[in-house]
Amino acid sequence: MPERRIPAGERAKPSQVLWTTLLVIAACLPVMPHLRWQVNAFLALVFAVRLLGLRWPSAMPGRGLRILLTFAGVANCLHGYHTLAGQDGGAALFATMITLKLLELDSKRDLRLTTILVGFLIVVQFLFDESFSIAAYLGVVSLGMIALLVKLNGGLGEAGARPALRVTYRLALQALPLTLVLFVLFPRLEAPLWNLGFEREAAMTGMSDTMEPGAISELVVNGEGAFRVRFEGAPPDSGQLYWRGPVLWEMDGRRWTQGDAPHESPRPSELVAASEPIEYEVVLEPTRQRWLFALDMPVTAPSDAFITPALQVVARQPINALRRYRVRSVMSYATQAPSQEVRLLALRLPDNITPRMRALVADWGAEAQTEWQLVQRGLAFFNREAFHYTLLPPALGANPADEFLFETRAGFCEHYASAFALLMRIAGIPSRIVLGYLGGEDNDIGGYKIVRQSDAHAWVEVLIPERGWVRVDPTAAVDPSRIDRRSASRLLGANASLRFSIDETNGFARFARSMRLLADTLDATWQNWVLDFSTEDQLALLDKLGLSAFREYGLAALMMLAISLTLAVILLALSRDNPPQDALDALYARFCRKLARAGLPKHHHEGPRDYGRRVTAERPDLAGPVGRFLALYIPSRYSASASPQNLEQLRAQLRDFAPKEPGSPLSLKRSR
Amino acid sequence: MSLARRRPQNEPRPRAALADSILDSARAVILGKDRELRLALACLLARGHLLIEDLPGVGKTTLAHLLARLLGLDYSRIQFTSDLLPADVIGVSVYDRAAEGFRFHPGPVFSQLVLADEINRATPKAQSALLEAMEERQVTVEGETRPLPEPFFVIATQNPLHQVGTFPLPESQLDRFLMRIQLGYPDAEQEKQLLGGEDRRDMVARQAPALTNAELIELQRSVTQIHAAPPVIDYVHAVLQFTRGSERFAYGLSPRAGLGMLHAAKAWALLASRDYVIPEDVQAVLPACVAHRLASGEIGQREGAEDAARFILDSVPV
Repeated sequence: MPERRIPAGERAKPSQVLWTTLLVIAACLPVMPHLRWQVNAFLALVFAVRLLGLRWPSAMPGRGLRILLTFAGVANCLHGYHTLAGQDGGAALFATMITLKLLELDSKRDLRLTTILVGFLIVVQFLFDESFSIAAYLGVVSLGMIALLVKLNGGLGEAGARPALRVTYRLALQALPLTLVLFVLFPRLEAPLWNLGFEREAAMTGMSDTMEPGAISELVVNGEGAFRVRFEGAPPDSGQLYWRGPVLWEMDGRRWTQGDAPHESPRPSELVAASEPIEYEVVLEPTRQRWLFALDMPVTAPSDAFITPALQVVARQPINALRRYRVRSVMSYATQAPSQEVRLLALRLPDNITPRMRALVADWGAEAQTEWQLVQRGLAFFNREAFHYTLLPPALGANPADEFLFETRAGFCEHYASAFALLMRIAGIPSRIVLGYLGGEDNDIGGYKIVRQSDAHAWVEVLIPERGWVRVDPTAAVDPSRIDRRSASRLLGANASLRFSIDETNGFARFARSMRLLADTLDATWQNWVLDFSTEDQLALLDKLGLSAFREYGLAALMMLAISLTLAVILLALSRDNPPQDALDALYARFCRKLARAGLPKHHHEGPRDYGRRVTAERPDLAGPVGRFLALYIPSRYSASASPQNLEQLRAQLRDFAPKEPGSPLSLKRSR
Repeated sequence: MSLARRRPQNEPRPRAALADSILDSARAVILGKDRELRLALACLLARGHLLIEDLPGVGKTTLAHLLARLLGLDYSRIQFTSDLLPADVIGVSVYDRAAEGFRFHPGPVFSQLVLADEINRATPKAQSALLEAMEERQVTVEGETRPLPEPFFVIATQNPLHQVGTFPLPESQLDRFLMRIQLGYPDAEQEKQLLGGEDRRDMVARQAPALTNAELIELQRSVTQIHAAPPVIDYVHAVLQFTRGSERFAYGLSPRAGLGMLHAAKAWALLASRDYVIPEDVQAVLPACVAHRLASGEIGQREGAEDAARFILDSVPV
């Protein structure tokens, strides 16, 4: 087959190929962590071939090899995802294809096409990550894309990169008002496009409503934010911040689940005694669950959520998008005594309780007079015996509770909570497991606390007569000297939670922390103002304008109006400036503006020489710079042979040209 | 002038120096009229015809005569009167017995520089005989076309209209003059100098030509090579458009007026020793180039003509 014949002017230059390749690499980078390794390896291979091909053009694969590579790329995606549709498979295929196109950059048309396709790649990223940093990064990539297109279209001739960038900035600035109008007013889909059924099958990271060994450990090493909290007044001590999530009643020997009973309890749960409530606002990342996390104990639920008898705040709809809610909680409280049915539920034991567990509890029961003393005995056991807190616990077999208590004695919150709750039940004290988060990191910059997935925690509540359900945290009972900090810093890095105090005397660590907090603040602001902006906000805006009756039609009409107005303003501004100005015109216009600010505006009918003469007559002190500028400007503008260096010289002269204000004493004296 | 003589013949003198030497000589004779002299010279370098309009006795004829001398042109003068006939201008065929045929006796128009004195005293018929020659640069007599000499200039003078016994030139004919200038009375200082000095007629007669014909033609050619950048063209066009759209004028400027103005501006730039036109060149020649084309109803009313030009200059942005 004959090779494509390309006219000389349309042939791609190596520098253009290089820039296009770099652009594609830059656009691919943020999506790569979300793709399978084999796809990433393929992308890296093609990038390498392309870059090497710039150095040694003969090394570029020919047509046949390219076809082969294309099949290989598709097969690679199929192998990784078993489908080419859906978010992951589609993104992988798209990235593979655009990368393969890099091997075929022969004409400028190829370059333009590839550059435009990068725009799609940029949109694809937002299926994976909407954070501010990604948006900012992709904004820069988009500017690069526009600049490359400006260069490729050749309107600027052989001009360098700076004029192209200037055009790019101007284009971007002109597009900005329209973007804002569209952002605020464009009628929105109720759900993001990527929630329309082809999302990933893997669950979101976050709290699950069951607990078994290893369930939380996946969370604990996850530095992602779970939610942000802003307190009305001074926040309570971090050690007291138990963010209450699902409550688990049922243990099947290995796994804790919610069970079924208390949900149906018709009795409203009320606290019999409570301290002054504190109020705070939570911004919860989407969890696809219905839990709304609130401090122990919540007393008022936000609208479209309710408080269950087990004092969990539950939303009526799953949290699929960022959710903002206000809750009030009391820090000290006493709950009502539950019904007998609930007591029995909280005493139910799995059938794999071993004799040595019973023996252990029997010892404590003999020593303790009251239930509370027994609870304290249990906590003392964890403290006294050689229990270790580690994020890297040994694997547990068929009877995890027994093995943990008597053999491995190393684990983290879920091991402790599970074992402790079981022991209490053996002792006849009703108990239940509460999942949630503990603590939270202060963000002084943003003025809020951030609670991360790594703050996930599990604790126990025991039923004590007269006091109701009392929170007991067996993990906290572990002797601090037996906390395995190495595992924490190895797994968590800078994201270590409250339970591992990372040394902050180190200056770099402090700097890294404040940078991290700053980034989080930016993310929060981004969430608040951009990602959070929803149909409700739009309708509220319409309501303010008295157009709520028209709903989407009002929005659309308003949008058209705003777009027309924006365009009209831009056109007006453009027509007033008398564009298209070339660089020389622009320089002269700046020169005139500077003189106008000094009280010597150019008359519209004045030619440059006459203007210069008038200026010089009125302000002899300006004769030098004005004369020099015009002596260079006039021939550049009007003669047949103007050299391009003149432009640079004029620019330099203009930079230093700063005529004094007319109010300066010098000119006042003269006018008298 | 003497400087020019010392140079070898084949080496062309700098154009600016040439023009300057002409202007210097002219200034010595016609006092205090630097701008008008410059305009007149520019008009001739742009191969345009010149109309000098003013009261009798302010030096119109002297100026024409002087230019003819300085430019080294052969010169004839036609005094226009109300009984002047076309044949008096272009010549007549007379039967020659010896040759047994008609022989053409060329009229005064067959000169390189024709001074048409008091052109508006003649009847339109006689006027148009001259004006046709001006435009065509050739004369057709009895079916035979005879070219006029090269270079060919007409300098016409006219009296203000309100004087008795004048026939106004129609617009179409005024359009053939590239420029109309007015001399006006001299300043007090220069008038005293004039009164005390020697006779101007003698001074003119003493002037030696500053140019050869070839040099003049070369100068004229170099005017056409002056560069007019797009912004200047835009400006000239804006002036034309403005006069066509403005309610102040009954009709706008013709394309010929625009061409003439640009050409005159080029000549003006040459006189300033520049090889490109700047907007100020256009502005300098604009009043002389457009006033007679726009304000023909107001001939002789200095203020009217100057106002019209000023109005255009002030209204059209550069």
